[in-house]
Amino acid sequence: MPKNPLAALRRWWQTRLPATDTLALTQRNVYILPTGSGWMLALTLLVLLIASINFQLNLGYLLTFLLAGSAAAGMHICHATLRGTELRLLPPEPAFQGQAATLTVELHNARRSPRHGIALATWHEGGAPHWAWTDVPAQGAAQVHIAFKPPRRGLHALPLLTAQTLFPLGTFRAWAWWRPAAQVLVYPAPEVPAAPLPPGEPRAGQGHATRAGGAGEFDGVRAYRRGDPLKLVVWKKAAQAFATGGHALVSRDAQQSQGTDLWLDVDRAGLPDPEARIARVTAWVLQADRLGLRWGLRLPGGATIAPGEGAQHRRRCLEALALC
Amino acid sequence: MKPSSRLAATLASMPRDTRDTLFLLGVIAWIVLPLAGHLPPWATATCLALLAWRGQLAWRGRPLPGRWVIGVLLALALGATLLTHRTILGRDAGVTLIVMLLGLKTLELHGRRDAMVVFFLGFFTLLSNFFFSQALPVAAAMLLALLGLLAALVNAHMPVGRPPLAQSLRMAGRMALLGAPIMAALFVLFPRMAPLWGLPSDLQSGRTGLSDDMRVGNIAQLALDDSVALRVRFLTPQGAPPAQHQLYFRGPVLGQFDGREWRAGDTIHLRAQAPDLALFETQGTPIAYEATLEPHQRPWLLVLDAARHAPELPEGTTARMSPDLQWVARRPLTSVLRYRAESYPQFRYGPRERGPALAPYTALPPGSNPRTRALAAELRADPRLAQGGTPALVDAALQRLRTGGYTYTLDPGVYGEHTADEFWFQRKEGFCEHIASAFAVLMRAMDVPARIVTGYQGGDLNAVDGYWTVRQSDAHAWAEVWIAGQGWVRVDPTGAVAPSRVGQLQRLRAPQGLFAGAMGTVISPGMAQQLRAVWEAVNNGWNQWVLNYTQGRQLDLLRALGVSTPDWQDLLRLLGALVCLAAGGGALWALWERHRTDPWVRLLDQARARLARAGLALPAHLPPRAMAARAQAQFGADGTPACAWLLRLEQARYAPLADASLAQLQRELRRLRWPRRRPASPP
Repeated sequence: MPKNPLAALRRWWQTRLPATDTLALTQRNVYILPTGSGWMLALTLLVLLIASINFQLNLGYLLTFLLAGSAAAGMHICHATLRGTELRLLPPEPAFQGQAATLTVELHNARRSPRHGIALATWHEGGAPHWAWTDVPAQGAAQVHIAFKPPRRGLHALPLLTAQTLFPLGTFRAWAWWRPAAQVLVYPAPEVPAAPLPPGEPRAGQGHATRAGGAGEFDGVRAYRRGDPLKLVVWKKAAQAFATGGHALVSRDAQQSQGTDLWLDVDRAGLPDPEARIARVTAWVLQADRLGLRWGLRLPGGATIAPGEGAQHRRRCLEALALC
Repeated sequence: MKPSSRLAATLASMPRDTRDTLFLLGVIAWIVLPLAGHLPPWATATCLALLAWRGQLAWRGRPLPGRWVIGVLLALALGATLLTHRTILGRDAGVTLIVMLLGLKTLELHGRRDAMVVFFLGFFTLLSNFFFSQALPVAAAMLLALLGLLAALVNAHMPVGRPPLAQSLRMAGRMALLGAPIMAALFVLFPRMAPLWGLPSDLQSGRTGLSDDMRVGNIAQLALDDSVALRVRFLTPQGAPPAQHQLYFRGPVLGQFDGREWRAGDTIHLRAQAPDLALFETQGTPIAYEATLEPHQRPWLLVLDAARHAPELPEGTTARMSPDLQWVARRPLTSVLRYRAESYPQFRYGPRERGPALAPYTALPPGSNPRTRALAAELRADPRLAQGGTPALVDAALQRLRTGGYTYTLDPGVYGEHTADEFWFQRKEGFCEHIASAFAVLMRAMDVPARIVTGYQGGDLNAVDGYWTVRQSDAHAWAEVWIAGQGWVRVDPTGAVAPSRVGQLQRLRAPQGLFAGAMGTVISPGMAQQLRAVWEAVNNGWNQWVLNYTQGRQLDLLRALGVSTPDWQDLLRLLGALVCLAAGGGALWALWERHRTDPWVRLLDQARARLARAGLALPAHLPPRAMAARAQAQFGADGTPACAWLLRLEQARYAPLADASLAQLQRELRRLRWPRRRPASPP
């Protein structure tokens, strides 16, 4: 027997929600209840009514009833703020474990008046949600970014989302639940601080590789030394470095880059914990990509990804690491 | 740059928080200001100072004061309230306290919760304005205040960006408009009931109008006051009022005199007694009328002399007759009260024989008014008068007033110790109060029982709505003299001095105030009078239909709706029925909305059904263009009109043109020649 029957009921209800990437909010899936302020207003109205009765103030009755009528109108306006909105989830971008993944939701408003103060958040049992607020213009759309922290690497279902509004008086809260169908891919968290890249391996049919110089230097490249010929500078990296405010130049190490391949091998990452090994290899992948190197990946269980480079290759490697 | 555009520019450049706070402070000041006349001065000053301080903090973007500052201020406010009112309970203390709390709470706006507390305190303060006045201008001001509070509340729930305040105001207005029918239904049908528990006793403070005592100069102030005291609708044919000389509205009767002041004092214990109705004879036909009495914070009702039966009062109010024929309600009248009454202009009241009960009415303080006493002795010694008895003495006194060079003035100056002497022999001028008092003293000195009656005399007709209007300036004092065999007889000595004061429409004009004087030069007197009549008619309508909407009226409404013996449960039933009706309507609307489809999609569905009848079954997801292509392929030339129609339907969806409105397409669809049914050709 669950501890909290209400929570159990809610869970059961939430699992019944159909998974969908676009959700049209209608009379059937928008709920509304008074908030704490709403109950406070009810108490205020009661006191105003008693004062009107006791002092026989007809104008007091008018005030009380006008306020009550406005609050009732506010209830309908609150519900109508959500009702008729269409929520569309944009395909989620992959994220690294331990960092916030961002979901982007587009809210579409077909009616001729704007909708104010709509908030979206991921829904957790017990925790206070971090609402992302937005207004949706008349016959327009607005985007909301919701951050959430995926618990593990791999392919995950998105968390339950909830949309709410307190507009216009804060006395009622209208809300809706939404179970998105899309899944988010979570890459492993890279090791921090990143270990130096492993030495290159000789290509098949060539001699042994020599160990790279000092720590922090990798096969194929090294820090720019005065006197390096300009054609050895990795300009692609330099441009990236300048763009981000750095000023380090990297040169190709002509001797070392010949005849060796950089293989990032999970099983040979030098750590006992399998997850820690994956984390280290992830950090290597990122590092290798940042330096513009070619690298191959060997996964546990013998699967390999042939050496390559570029964003596509990086993405393939990270996906493989996420799912291994 | 114009000041208005400069203000707009300043507002636009302000941070949103500052702008919102200043707006809320402005609304609060608007609510508190009308209370200024009713609060202790320190409370008004403190509240406005707090608001100004808070505004200053918002303007400079400074942090709010710490909790202990607010705590100390709160303790000070509590102490000052206790000192001023000697209590923190009761109405006046409550209003002071709530205004202080509202001012202090603005210094503590940390979160949404605090903001909500300010709003709810604001609603209470709004209501407290109605304790003091429910007049039309107050109602209008408070409606604005309510809209302001709602707008601030709406604004607080627009968390994104910097929405213009006008948008919040529009939304508040919209909510109020949508809420108005609910307000009207509840106002009309919510059963009016008697107060749930006793009222705090401090209601009698701040009284205006007549009072329990009469001091020289007291009624002179009233004579300058043109505000309405009561309105009367005579239930006579054509609503004609009785003759002016019959229009004495009876108020407090003052039987005790200490030389300076007339009081009801001694007769207070008599109020508990019922009057001896055997001594109350009426003659002729009564005058029936409906009176609407402005709240005067005193318990007495004003009826025409003299009402034998209790006026018909709204539910929860009862009235008794005092032994001196005054009608007194059980509670002070704090709101406009309407009642129906019947009065007999011809009546006799009081003991026929002289007995000890009349002794207090001949009492005079020893040593006072020696010259009046001497005059009395002289008159009594007159053998011609001795024969005529009391009526002859009264006539002699009135004759003296008529012929002795006495004048009526609103500005008689301050009287000394022997007021009657001064009036009779030195100043020879005064208004009704001086004249009545001097007359009664003279009567008493001649051992004739006499007393003062205060109330209102006369009035004028409002030509706009036909109500008889009695103003504070119609306040009057007259005398009653006891005559053997007749009882108490009304004698109005003012009529002897200034016949115009009684019995004619012409009243002595009070000097105009600065404002009225300025207006007089712009608007002609006739125009001003007309404007005033319209304004008072509007105000009277407000009183009749809003402030005086009582349980009696509610039940009348039910009777008009066909309920034969309505009671308050019927009101609740009707209210419940309305709620059910509204809920049912809402449910129907929701149902209708769920089944409502886009008219364009409906047309497409119809076209698909026609094609299916012709033998071409098409899946629902096909757009019109694809449908047209399939129809063309299937039917060839036969299908051309249908194809053309489908393409225009498509156009109507994406680029609506004048000749392709949905209504027109619908008409064409009905007339369109659809292809004949034909066996499907092999693909």
